[in-house]
Amino acid sequence: MRHVISVLMQNEVGALTRLTGLFSTRGYNIESLNVAPTEDPLISRLTLVTSGSDAALAQIAKQLNKLVDVVDMHDMTLGDHFERELALLKLVVRNTRTLSEWCVSHGAAVLDDSAKSFTVEYAGGTADVDQFVAAIGRHGEVIVLVRSGSLGISRGERVLAGEVRALPVEGQAGM
Amino acid sequence: MRAIADSQQQPADHPLAGREMSGAEMIVQIIADEGIDVVFGYSGGAILPTYDAVFRFNKDNPGSDGNGALPLIVPANEQGAGFMAAGYSRATGKVGTVMVTSGPGATNMVTPVRDSAADSVPMVLICGQVPSAAIGTDAFQEAPITAVMGSVAKHVFLVTDPTRLEATIRTAYEIARTGRPGPVVVDVPKDVQNWSGTFHGTSRLEIPGYRKRLQRVTDSVLDDADCQSFLQLLSESDRPLIYAGGGVVNGNASAAMRRFAERFGIPVTTTLMGIGASDTTEALSLHMLGMHGMAYANYAVEDCDFLIAAAARFDDRVAGVPQRFAPNARHIAHFDIDPSEIDKVKSVSWHHTGVLDRDLDAIVEYADRVNFAKSFETWHDEVAALKRNHALDYDRESALIQPNAVIEAINAITEGEAIISTGVGQHQMWAAQYFDFREPRLWLTSGSMGTMGFGVPAAVGAQFGRPDKLVIDIDGDASIRMNLGELETVTTYGLPVKIVVLNNFGDGMVRQWQKLYYKGRLSASDKSLHRKDFVRAAKADGFEYAVRLDDKAKLEQTIAEFVGFEGPAFLEVIIDPDASVYPMVGPGQSYSEMITGDFIASRGSDDDKDVSQTESF
Repeated sequence: MRHVISVLMQNEVGALTRLTGLFSTRGYNIESLNVAPTEDPLISRLTLVTSGSDAALAQIAKQLNKLVDVVDMHDMTLGDHFERELALLKLVVRNTRTLSEWCVSHGAAVLDDSAKSFTVEYAGGTADVDQFVAAIGRHGEVIVLVRSGSLGISRGERVLAGEVRALPVEGQAGM
Repeated sequence: MRAIADSQQQPADHPLAGREMSGAEMIVQIIADEGIDVVFGYSGGAILPTYDAVFRFNKDNPGSDGNGALPLIVPANEQGAGFMAAGYSRATGKVGTVMVTSGPGATNMVTPVRDSAADSVPMVLICGQVPSAAIGTDAFQEAPITAVMGSVAKHVFLVTDPTRLEATIRTAYEIARTGRPGPVVVDVPKDVQNWSGTFHGTSRLEIPGYRKRLQRVTDSVLDDADCQSFLQLLSESDRPLIYAGGGVVNGNASAAMRRFAERFGIPVTTTLMGIGASDTTEALSLHMLGMHGMAYANYAVEDCDFLIAAAARFDDRVAGVPQRFAPNARHIAHFDIDPSEIDKVKSVSWHHTGVLDRDLDAIVEYADRVNFAKSFETWHDEVAALKRNHALDYDRESALIQPNAVIEAINAITEGEAIISTGVGQHQMWAAQYFDFREPRLWLTSGSMGTMGFGVPAAVGAQFGRPDKLVIDIDGDASIRMNLGELETVTTYGLPVKIVVLNNFGDGMVRQWQKLYYKGRLSASDKSLHRKDFVRAAKADGFEYAVRLDDKAKLEQTIAEFVGFEGPAFLEVIIDPDASVYPMVGPGQSYSEMITGDFIASRGSDDDKDVSQTESF
């Protein structure tokens, strides 16, 4: 089963290597991995997509929790959550005008509409992105496809420990 | 000291707080503050500032013997320093500390660091690194230590900001000894060692995730309901058995485990790493289980109906086939400090992640409170019969010296009180089987990694940590070659370490497998044409007592002389080259398929068992 895991990690030298190294040394697969800074400059947020049995995922979670740099982690797939992925596509097209209109009607943004490098941005769930890529391929030849991999956020009030630091709470000083 | 509790936190005000110091001086001061009384390491360009700081520290702090409060012990090779620190740590429970230079100095430490991680041994390794400005330029003696060590150590730091050096070194010790202990590497560029700043005295790094998870384990105490559910399983059992792992020793929980076993009358078998957790001379001690465990211990595992895994991890040398391990156990309980060990290999019906000694004491205390009573006398009789009927034995009539006899003879003198280190292979298994161990931290062996060459340097480190103890390295001719340079380290420091080489002219365990699984094709495992003269080598390295024993009639007398010699002593024993280690559970096989050889009684016939049908690894 596919799992989307969100990890908050301290920005230490080699931290990302240790995390990805854990997956390769223990024989787990990473389908996609996204890393970016948070509002706290000392902490990065990772969203990684992996797959495996429930037992394998339980081990992955426990092993991630053994990494000293990991502040907190959560398997989004265990609860209700949203997933979004950004795709950038470059196409060679015959009719830029028609395709521009088609893109806008399908919720994509056209970044550059010259015939030689028609460039589009699309965001959505992973399945939506797959469908969009397949559909736009019927209007022209996709020559470059850049996908961000999934980003996830849980529905409701749940946050990871460490995220709270970035959210000032009224009436409480010095979080 | 509990492994988990950060019991050595600095006092609020360090006497040197506010003083201007170099980075190198801070490193040395923190090592001393941690209660470390010896450092192992080899010098080189990138660590010179810190070596100089050690020299100056020892001049200012001469220590009780005038040789310095922080002696720096120099091996022949950095790997030797690593295993000395591991031996020191395993024998004392303190954090073994190593200091090496960049590049090859640091990469030579990869094996001891991985070895210590795999056996959960606390260690701090401080590596010099090329100056910050040179990092990434393929500078002289530069190696990517955070990347290399990141996949083998418990944690790695590269100090990029000198103002964080002090907090980083202190935090490295905290991480090494807390939770499930392990090695922590700190890579310190030379300019960071030379930098000067104000010594704070108590600063630590923020590691919120680690400390939170540690706190969760510390806070996880067994309540009455947990104790009751455990006792319920025990009351339903007629044949309970404790399977004690290395975590009992590393977690300083041996005393609690002995109280627990005695309170309920539960027999104990230990893993290779757990040896010494129980007193092996006790009636209800079944000594070691597993691939080369005692036949009676393995039969007891087969027979038990309730298995209590105490800080043990169902490793493949114990549970070769997890689903057929302890097949009659209706329930398995598992205690561990590391949540990832629960359900990793074998799923269990009752488990607790916590601090072992406290948890075992809690169950005993609750049982006393509710007057829990259950007799396991029938099981005790069965255990006694297993021990009697399936005792270890070997070819006592052979004209050749049997390795088992050598260890029996030494054990007759040391009576389970000596510290024993080993290399890896047959001699390691014979030593594990034939020595008694009355206490924990007497048995020093590379269990998980199985690193040949561990024996001599581990004995050196243990002797520094326990100068009051007799330290004996039982080694093999192939294992000792791996770090033979450290023989000289023994005499350089005048350590009264006793070294035994059981010489069977080759890699005995490899040959044993080649005979079993490769139709006797001894590919690259025979050393009978090698021309090494071990006795002359030991003499050349300054051993005044260096003797070769090849006459069975002189065995006991020679052993007595050797063990009784004051000072470093070396004994080579020419043993039967065909001696094999029995019992043996083939890799990937279950205990019911165990073979016991010609001298140990088996429950079935060995002829019924096809040891060659195995997924050999």
